[in-house]
Amino acid sequence: MTTGASEPLLALSNVNTFYGQAQVHFDLSITVGRGHIVCLLGGNASGKSTTMKIILGLVKPRSGDVTFDGASLLGLTTPQIVRRGIASVPEARRLFADMSVRENILMGAFVRNDRDAVAQDLDKMLTLFPKLGQRLSQRAGSLSGGEQQMVAMARALMSRPRMIVMDEPTMGLSPLYVDRVLELIRTINQEGVSVFMVEQNASLALEIAHEAYVLQTGKIVLSGPARALRDDPRIRDAYLGGSEAA
Amino acid sequence: MSSWLDYTINGLIVGNVYALVAVGLALIFGVSRLINFAQGSIYLVGAYIGWVAVVQLHTPLPLTIIVVAVAAAIVGLIIERFGLRPLQNSVRIAPLLATIGISFVLDQLVMLTFSPNPRALPSQLPDVRFQVGGGTIGPLDLLIAGVGLTSALLLFVFLRYSKLGWAVRATAQDRDAAMQMGVDVNHVNQAVFGIAAALGGVSGLLVGMYYNQIDTAMSLQATLKGVVAEVVGGAGNVPGAVIGSLLLGLVESYGVAVFGTSYRNLFAFLLLVIVLVLRPNGLFASARQAPPEPLTGTFIAPSRPVRIPRWALLVTAGVFAILPFFPVSFYVLQTLINAWLLGMLALSLTLVAGTVGQVSLGHAALLAIGAYTSALLSLTLSVPVGLAIIAGGLMSAALGTLLISPSFRLRGHYVSIATLAIGEIVSLVILNWESVTRGPIGISGIPPLSLFGYDLVSPTSIYWFSFVVLVVLALLQGRLLGSHLGRSFRAIRDDDIAARAYGLGLNRYKSLAFIFGGFAAGVSGGIAAHLYSYINHETFNTQQSILALTVVILGGLGNVVGAIVGAVALVGLPEVFRIAAEYRILIYGIVLLLLVRFRPQGLLGTI
Repeated sequence: MTTGASEPLLALSNVNTFYGQAQVHFDLSITVGRGHIVCLLGGNASGKSTTMKIILGLVKPRSGDVTFDGASLLGLTTPQIVRRGIASVPEARRLFADMSVRENILMGAFVRNDRDAVAQDLDKMLTLFPKLGQRLSQRAGSLSGGEQQMVAMARALMSRPRMIVMDEPTMGLSPLYVDRVLELIRTINQEGVSVFMVEQNASLALEIAHEAYVLQTGKIVLSGPARALRDDPRIRDAYLGGSEAA
Repeated sequence: MSSWLDYTINGLIVGNVYALVAVGLALIFGVSRLINFAQGSIYLVGAYIGWVAVVQLHTPLPLTIIVVAVAAAIVGLIIERFGLRPLQNSVRIAPLLATIGISFVLDQLVMLTFSPNPRALPSQLPDVRFQVGGGTIGPLDLLIAGVGLTSALLLFVFLRYSKLGWAVRATAQDRDAAMQMGVDVNHVNQAVFGIAAALGGVSGLLVGMYYNQIDTAMSLQATLKGVVAEVVGGAGNVPGAVIGSLLLGLVESYGVAVFGTSYRNLFAFLLLVIVLVLRPNGLFASARQAPPEPLTGTFIAPSRPVRIPRWALLVTAGVFAILPFFPVSFYVLQTLINAWLLGMLALSLTLVAGTVGQVSLGHAALLAIGAYTSALLSLTLSVPVGLAIIAGGLMSAALGTLLISPSFRLRGHYVSIATLAIGEIVSLVILNWESVTRGPIGISGIPPLSLFGYDLVSPTSIYWFSFVVLVVLALLQGRLLGSHLGRSFRAIRDDDIAARAYGLGLNRYKSLAFIFGGFAAGVSGGIAAHLYSYINHETFNTQQSILALTVVILGGLGNVVGAIVGAVALVGLPEVFRIAAEYRILIYGIVLLLLVRFRPQGLLGTI
């Protein structure tokens, strides 16, 4: 699954995860190539969000390994993982509702100490997300869902990450904003940031992704280049959970 | 007669002192959703460090304040690092209980070091007063106001402009999201505990100077007042805590002006209960903020209870039943009588806190109601003692349930705060309702235990009497837990929303639990009253409520046999090891801490 000659940026290999007695992941292996957009598809309770949490160190797998740029992330805390260059856009945005939009975006740069460059990056965000300019001193909680998604993406970019992980970035957005968000993910990616996204909306995600994996009750049932998967009849079955395996 | 202006000034000054405690509580609650019951102990430590600095080291005032702030902050950091951080992945009730244990330990250490006698803490300021309008104001008033304002300003700047301050606010709003921004939550906790402790310590110093006296009873009072102010302002809301504190100070000051000093605390707790019932999120909570209390199920450690075979229970009960036939000393019987009485209280609490999940911190009030009812009935109306005790149980069941009913709509920590306040209110009503309860003098000459006209005065007969009552109550409770009703109780504890969705009326079941539990506790209090022959408003205090909770946790929440085992262990072991009385509370605190850390499900497991 590695792309080209270079080793992958992120690799999950043979990950098994449990919540108490219940097994969530069965020998999960996923790789994200440098500069690629990779999406993980799956229905409810397939283990998608847990995959995000494994990458961010919020949940620890029982066995297997997670490496970023060749080094294991397993012993690290979430803040340490963030410092390695992974930023996140959590499910349902998870903004700091009582802080202003400006404060929210700047919180993204929490791990950085180069104040001047941070200020420049803030300006850059405002050109990337022009709508946020008028909202800077507003409470983040008072924005619409689409605007909040913009803030969450700007916040993630402020750490100058090498990779962004996104949990259902289009969830709960109006069709207009869904297109905007996909467009922005492409733009971010073109600037050299790898993207790993978890999505329920398969057809949209496959439009922008390079590779995709389909997760069903904790197992990868299908994977490959997004272009190939787009035309695969099985994707609909697997995605909709038509044939329940094990 | 002082002027109204004087009362206003006094209220604002006292409010300022409360604010220093309450702001710390609000910061901690904001970041870790924890009510820090050890905050008052840090305040106590601050006062005594101040005393050492002023009286023994003769430090000048500014240096005293700095010394106290730094020393208290260090205590706060130690509490965070060794008391609470190990519990991070534990059940939600664990940190709450840990702070209670820590407060016991700290208070007792201060008491053992400095003796329980009050000490004078001179303010080092000139004793002059300036006329202002119709009132007067002194340099100490100005100092307290100055410290309050400066702290508020520094805190504002810290939260608004420093990187760590941003991290504190972000963590308070969404802990996981803050971690995903790279915020180290442990650093945030440290910062918050350090700041809260520094403010609390300075508050203790200033109060000591204001009243020119410090003693170890300050600790619990400070915690209670701080919690009241914080909840009034909205838990976790820092500016709200300041306003809540000033409001509390004024309410108390005007209350004292109109009704007298003994009413001071009554007003504080009534304010708390009113706010909890009408606006549980505080006076200033906006619609957004429903504090994310956990469902009660995650509040208590789940476990598989230890199965004890029926024959083993029968044999053990049989051994205790025939114990007086063996040559055991009166001392042993006396100790076991205390254990049986505590066992009845523990049965009551384990039902309410363990089975139904309402962690009560005011259970001693049920003892008091039962004790006063039984004592007064037998003394003034010559009701036979046996009947009077049953009446005491019924009164506790009825009145206790009625008093607690406003808190039925609350969950988790808020139940604990409300029950704590209601417990204090009962004790304060007993203190102030002199025509019935004889107020601070207490009730003496309570007739001894008797049954069908026979006085039970020998330790042997009292032993049997209390043992039989305990066994009957335990059997009843065992039956209750095995029934459909018991299952409904546990359903409410584990997920009250789901329980409601299945058609369980929460209020009805919570009432039933408190009625049953109130009866057991009332009977225990009634027996105790006739045993002691003298009771007053302090006989059944918060310390006993906490002791009962420790017993219940030791045995395993909800576990009937566990409650009795816990009572015997906690009453008996200090006797076996001949631990001097003044160390006992310290031991209880340490036991509670160790349990929470290493066996939160108790000895016999939660049911």
